[in-house]
Amino acid sequence: MKKKRTSSNDRKTVKMLMKYVGRYKILLFFSILLAGVSVVLTLYIPILAGNAIDCIHGIGNVDFDSIKNILIKVGIIAAVTAVIQWIMNMINNRITYRVIRDARNDAFKKLEILPLKYLDSHPHGDTVSRIISDADQFGDGLLMGFSQLFTGVMTIGATLVFMLTINPPITAVVVVLTPLSLFMARFIAKKTHAMFTLRSQTNAEQTSHIEETLGNEKTVQAFSKENDANEKFNEINERLEKCSLKATFFSSLTNPCTRFINSIVYAAVALTGAIGVINGGHFAMTIGGLVSFLSYANQYTKPFNEISGVITELQNSLACAERLFEFINETPEIPDSKGAKTLVSPTGKVDFDSVYFSYTPGKKLIEDFNLSVHPGQRIAIVGPTGCGKTTLINLLMRFYDADSGKISVDGEPIKCLTRKSLRSNYGMVLQDTWLRYGTVRDNIRISKPDATDEEVIAAAKSAHAHSFIKRLPDGYDTVLGESDGGLSQGQKQLLCITRIMLSLPPMLILDEATSSIDTRTELKIQNAFAKMTEGRTSFIVAHRLSTIQSADVILVMKDGKIIEQGNHDSLMAQNGFYTNLYNSQFETT
Amino acid sequence: MKKVFYYLKGYAVQSILGPLFKLGEATLELFVPLVVAKIIDVGIPNSDKNYIIKMGLILLGLAFAGLLMSVTAQYFAARASVGCVTKMRSALFAHIQTLSYSDLDSLGTSTVITRMTGDMNQIQTGLNIGLRLLLRSPFVVLGAMVMAFTIDTREALIFAGAIPILATVIFGIMLAGIPLYKKTQGKLDSVLRLTRENLTGVRVIRAFGREKEETARFVGSNNALVAIQEFAGKIAAVLNPATYVIINAAVIILIYSGAVKVNAGTLTQGETVALYNYMSQILIELIKFASLIISITKAAACANRVSDILDMSPSFEGGDVIGGSDTDEAVRFENVYLKYNETGGDALEDISFTLKKGQTLGIIGGTGAGKTSVVNLIPGFYHAAKGNVYVDGVNVNDWNQNSLKDRIGVVEQKATLFSGTIRDNLKWGDENATDEEIMSAARTAQAEDVINSKESGLDSVIEQGGKNLSGGQRQRLTIARALVKKPEILILDDSSSALDFATDAKLRKAIASIKDTSVIIVSQRTSSIKHADVIAVLDDGRLAGLGTHSELLENCPVYKEIYDSQYKKAGDEK
Repeated sequence: MKKKRTSSNDRKTVKMLMKYVGRYKILLFFSILLAGVSVVLTLYIPILAGNAIDCIHGIGNVDFDSIKNILIKVGIIAAVTAVIQWIMNMINNRITYRVIRDARNDAFKKLEILPLKYLDSHPHGDTVSRIISDADQFGDGLLMGFSQLFTGVMTIGATLVFMLTINPPITAVVVVLTPLSLFMARFIAKKTHAMFTLRSQTNAEQTSHIEETLGNEKTVQAFSKENDANEKFNEINERLEKCSLKATFFSSLTNPCTRFINSIVYAAVALTGAIGVINGGHFAMTIGGLVSFLSYANQYTKPFNEISGVITELQNSLACAERLFEFINETPEIPDSKGAKTLVSPTGKVDFDSVYFSYTPGKKLIEDFNLSVHPGQRIAIVGPTGCGKTTLINLLMRFYDADSGKISVDGEPIKCLTRKSLRSNYGMVLQDTWLRYGTVRDNIRISKPDATDEEVIAAAKSAHAHSFIKRLPDGYDTVLGESDGGLSQGQKQLLCITRIMLSLPPMLILDEATSSIDTRTELKIQNAFAKMTEGRTSFIVAHRLSTIQSADVILVMKDGKIIEQGNHDSLMAQNGFYTNLYNSQFETT
Repeated sequence: MKKVFYYLKGYAVQSILGPLFKLGEATLELFVPLVVAKIIDVGIPNSDKNYIIKMGLILLGLAFAGLLMSVTAQYFAARASVGCVTKMRSALFAHIQTLSYSDLDSLGTSTVITRMTGDMNQIQTGLNIGLRLLLRSPFVVLGAMVMAFTIDTREALIFAGAIPILATVIFGIMLAGIPLYKKTQGKLDSVLRLTRENLTGVRVIRAFGREKEETARFVGSNNALVAIQEFAGKIAAVLNPATYVIINAAVIILIYSGAVKVNAGTLTQGETVALYNYMSQILIELIKFASLIISITKAAACANRVSDILDMSPSFEGGDVIGGSDTDEAVRFENVYLKYNETGGDALEDISFTLKKGQTLGIIGGTGAGKTSVVNLIPGFYHAAKGNVYVDGVNVNDWNQNSLKDRIGVVEQKATLFSGTIRDNLKWGDENATDEEIMSAARTAQAEDVINSKESGLDSVIEQGGKNLSGGQRQRLTIARALVKKPEILILDDSSSALDFATDAKLRKAIASIKDTSVIIVSQRTSSIKHADVIAVLDDGRLAGLGTHSELLENCPVYKEIYDSQYKKAGDEK
């Protein structure tokens, strides 16, 4: 899976970076302008200082008036420069932080529209690492780039002008030689880019491991696997150490190397210059000329060091930016078609018309699936695990799209409906409960954000969750932590059912929604559901008899196909797969 | 910060040699002007080309020696910073593993992840830059002051006055910055939390069509992060201009008082120039120093956050008993109470029962009745607030935690698998298990066909969180995993909820045939537990009944109600 680094990849990253930075054109303009002004002023103060010193001629011969004037000027300019620098720093901060914010927002927006297929098949830790750490490191590099690149470039420009006014031929020589250091920096940056990419990847791998271990800490501790988790962590950590060390060290070579090149240039100038002074010829110059030549060369090369340092730093952040941008550029779900209709209070007629679907091409799952559901019917889906029940839900909700065939609601193919309207007409409760960090009330209100407290309580009462919520330390305002420690699985399911009771959508999908709820409570909920499902089409995946028996249609699925279909009595009469399944629960051990 | 130095100790040599080499390089640079002066003063007047070439070579030699020194310095700095952070990260991860489950509950996963990743990166950067430049800058600044003293003591007092002011400003900004950067990282925690939530809850969020609101929430949290970042940035942005103003003020005083002294004849013009040059040198050095200070401030803030976790001592350490006493009791509860947090009510109240070795205990009760709470106390996931829990006759608090967990196999409600092959996962129960042992456990857990249905059998790869398996498949594998352990006590916490009845029945039969294992079955279904030797009926955290199926049907109304609710025929229900 190793991706080859290409410069076109780089260019794409830089182009995208430009797009983000481009949103702050005005700030960027001011940043460059202020950098220019501050560089000119910074260079001007030494000249003024020199002028002032020139006014000190000797004992009793000091032009105090001029000195005072000049020093007042110095004071004013220094104050102005300081203010300009401060504003410039703040502008640079603002551009950087906002660019990162925008990129993070875009990444998150992409997360909301990525196909489930992507999210189901990529470790969460990797995505988290892209949006959090990579964005962070990218920002650090960017800030450094802004604060040093512009001033560096401006300093070079300003000294160049200054040198040209004194001696154009000498300037030309220095100008030709110094960029050698930039080539050096480029070279190192190119070589280290791969190391930084590897570092980011290893970082992501480590985040995934942390995520997996900490997210399931209870299981880890139950099996006393702390040491194994540590071992695996240390193994990744050691790899991270190695590639981190490599990346850090080799990138930090830039500065010494460019300075070495500058030193060689300096030595060469001193040598040829000195010989020129003796021999004359092409290099002829005076001693004074040589001295100024050397000092200019020195001043001129310094910003090149800084810039070369920035280049490596940027290279590191480009590696991170690339991972972030890669995520932002992932192909999203196919957007709703242009003329997509909004599904409004459907009657609940659902049809499957020779639907084919598989998660991985070549591994057939659902084949030639046909089903016609009348409005208001309760459909129970039973069958051995792995028979495709959950897949059916994925298709109904359009979490995945069928490979071929047609699924329609009220005669309208669901591909021609907006996803949002389709999904909002289903109330879905899954076996895997999901609660977020926040209060119980907020968690319930996810289905209907503008619900009043009375509505929330009424919903909780019909889901039989009210009594346990009341007993929580802060009732409806109890904050559920990230791992919702105190609640039992059944209580979580009750909260998820409460959400549906609150929004009362016209169609229902219940995937083992009551598996952890005790049967007495379940019976009571069933009654509430029964009231609710009156006139509501509902798809119910369950193992419990009470749920299955009262269904209008029972679908018995096996290996992606419906093998039996009918109501409880007719299926029992068939004496087939269903009958076996049903009898098994009364079998004594 | 202290913690950083503790882990840096292992790299003492590198941490000392790195800055020293950097100093060496800086010193070498000082020789360059001297060599050039020689060329001009000796080589050119004598027209001695050989001398000039020799000096030129010395310049090259100096440059090369400088290169070697700085490369060595960079290497040592990289080695020490990367090594130190690697050790810290490893220590932090290991430390988190020792924290109890309730400690982690209160901490939250997101913040732990940022601390392990983002914060550590900041520390590494700060340390690396610090080792490279922290010694150099003060050296240059103090060196310039010392040189000033050699020229004129009175004038040098301006230096002696400016430097403490500079130091105060720099440290002041640093101290103001640390809490701000700490806050920044805290906001980053929330951004990370929302990202994680939207990954784990993607189906629910999309089902409710809440993408827009979630995005708004994220944008809000992201904006809060940027606001504090910009605020911290504003303060850090003062650093450079402030040093600039202070030094230029010093320059003004220097030139004026120099002028007065030259006028009086106590100082020469050349000396004034030299003093001015030293002041400029300080300025150039401090500009470099400023960016370093910000990195170090950030690193210090992050180091504090890491230390906060490292300083958390596990709320429970466990005892040192490694073997059970001679008893026929596998588990005994003695008037046990449990609270999940200080403010909350009792999750369990006055629970007492005994499970004899080799027998089966069924636990049944309504949602939230405390079934899982009872089970959580046995391997010591949580600890009783009052009363005692005994395993093998020894109080769980006295057990060595590993020995205790070794003899208990827990299958949780939520089937958790880890990325790796099926074999890797099942071997969690026993590292040395042979394939036969694994397959026999799988047979008992009804997971054999799950394994066989996969192309590569035991070598089939499970994705993170077991995403490529169905709920029922995951559940059966987690049961197999616990069985591979051949535990003395097997706890099945409602772990067949995703299994169809046929599979569940087969599973029950198979488990009943395991010898020498005490089994605890938590279930909603009376069919799962009615053959247990003892059944504990829980209601709202209290024990509502204890006995066999037939006893309870007679004298425990709660149990009878549960039983009836499940065995009413479909026809009666309507």
